[in-house]
Amino acid sequence: MIIYLLFFLVAFFSLLAVSSKSLYHSAIYLMGSLSVTAGLYLILEAEFLAGIQVLVYVGGILVLLVFALMLTQSDILVNDQPTFTKKIMAFGVSTSVFALGVWLLSSLHLHSIILPTASSPAPSIKQLGHAFLSVQKNGYILAFEIISVLLLTVLISAIVIAKKEKA
Amino acid sequence: MKSLSFYIHNLYQNQQWLDFILYLGLGLILTLSLMSVVALVLVYAERKIAAHFQCRLGPMRVGWHGTLQTVADALKLLLKEDLIPKAADRFLFALAPFLTVMAALLSLSVLPFSLSATLSNMNIGLLFLSAISGYGVLGILIGGWASNNKWSLLGAMRAGAQLISYELSMTLSLLSIVVLSGSLNLNEIIASQAQGWWIWRAHLVGFISFVIYIISSTAETNRTPFDMAEGESELTAGFHTEYSGMRFAFFFLSEYVNLFIVSAIGSILFLGGWMPLHIGEWESFNALMDFVPGPIWFLLKTGALIFLSMWFRWTFPRLRVDQLMRFEWKFLLPLGLINLFLSSIIALGGFYFFP
Repeated sequence: MIIYLLFFLVAFFSLLAVSSKSLYHSAIYLMGSLSVTAGLYLILEAEFLAGIQVLVYVGGILVLLVFALMLTQSDILVNDQPTFTKKIMAFGVSTSVFALGVWLLSSLHLHSIILPTASSPAPSIKQLGHAFLSVQKNGYILAFEIISVLLLTVLISAIVIAKKEKA
Repeated sequence: MKSLSFYIHNLYQNQQWLDFILYLGLGLILTLSLMSVVALVLVYAERKIAAHFQCRLGPMRVGWHGTLQTVADALKLLLKEDLIPKAADRFLFALAPFLTVMAALLSLSVLPFSLSATLSNMNIGLLFLSAISGYGVLGILIGGWASNNKWSLLGAMRAGAQLISYELSMTLSLLSIVVLSGSLNLNEIIASQAQGWWIWRAHLVGFISFVIYIISSTAETNRTPFDMAEGESELTAGFHTEYSGMRFAFFFLSEYVNLFIVSAIGSILFLGGWMPLHIGEWESFNALMDFVPGPIWFLLKTGALIFLSMWFRWTFPRLRVDQLMRFEWKFLLPLGLINLFLSSIIALGGFYFFP
């Protein structure tokens, strides 16, 4: 029941986010979509993931997005009409990403929503930490390290760009 | 130990709709009333404390020693006309105060007043608290932008820049306590302090992260010496310049509730929350302290931290924007990182007192 309501809300907010006239409104609808996704994680008993979703996407990325929008002149963004070729290209990219997603999901053979049972308690923070740094079969060390290196690269490049030339 | 997902489970398996709705409704009413009481008491306390720091009496006329002054002020604010500027973005203008209040409300709902008096005992309590504060930041940014006013915009940008910067060192100081206690559940963090509070138990590490936490939480609540966001002399009132009546009251309310929340988190992580004060082998003293119920301890410790924050306001001069940023990025953040590293060493080796 609730899960279908959340599905509907995610789709609704996402549609609003891409169809809204004002960029600032789009950012707020995006906030709705991302927050409801956290609700989906909660229903799937992934409490930690839900918290991280809100922390990273709402507290981090969205705040940064809104901040960047404040630095730009809003009327330029609103009056910016994309050319026809740009529209075609955007349509092509989004359709292919959508098709890829549908293909991947259909290859997983998901027939019904399996909700977790009370007998499988959510993993503790200790287990999560060990899983992150584990080199065993179910460990996530590679993903963890790749993301760390990526973030470090981004951080250093941001500093390099922002650094003032010495006169 | 019932968490939110436990209730969602019940909803699916036993169809206990009535239980769930009753629990939700009661929790909402309790949290809302707690919120308004906290705001009223804190505004009164702020005015009185500020007055006594300046050798004044403060509010004295309404009620005994002016105790009803804030109630009267709140009533006045609720009855005032609600103005929306013509050029403002009406939807976002209305949404912004709602977001900040929602963040404050949700944060209050997870605070443990005692082992049993916890509305939602989440496994991810601390993570939830720091995640939810993002909505408060968004509310401030949106409010400043939607007002369509230069002062509001500048105030919101300052507030936003300050909040995202100081959130880093705040989270780092919280993380070092999470490393030491090994849990994100607020009640478990308090239970891990049965042998002693983290502020002194982890040698100097606990104390340093307490100091970092106090500094960054003062910045997070936009209070002096970090109240650049609403510096009256430069920006009239910062991001809420255009707000009036009820909507302004919402911003004002959440500001004071946030002060309560950060002080409560400080008392939970560093001062043992609802845990009574025990001193080593003093059996009779400890027994006497156990008589005082948990919520009283919790409120006492939180109150002490709130008083500290109000004391800061009349002690330190306001910082400049560049000083503020330099202090955070070049001093507080590296210190926090080193502190986190040291706390991991202490937690791994079990070097803290009474392991």
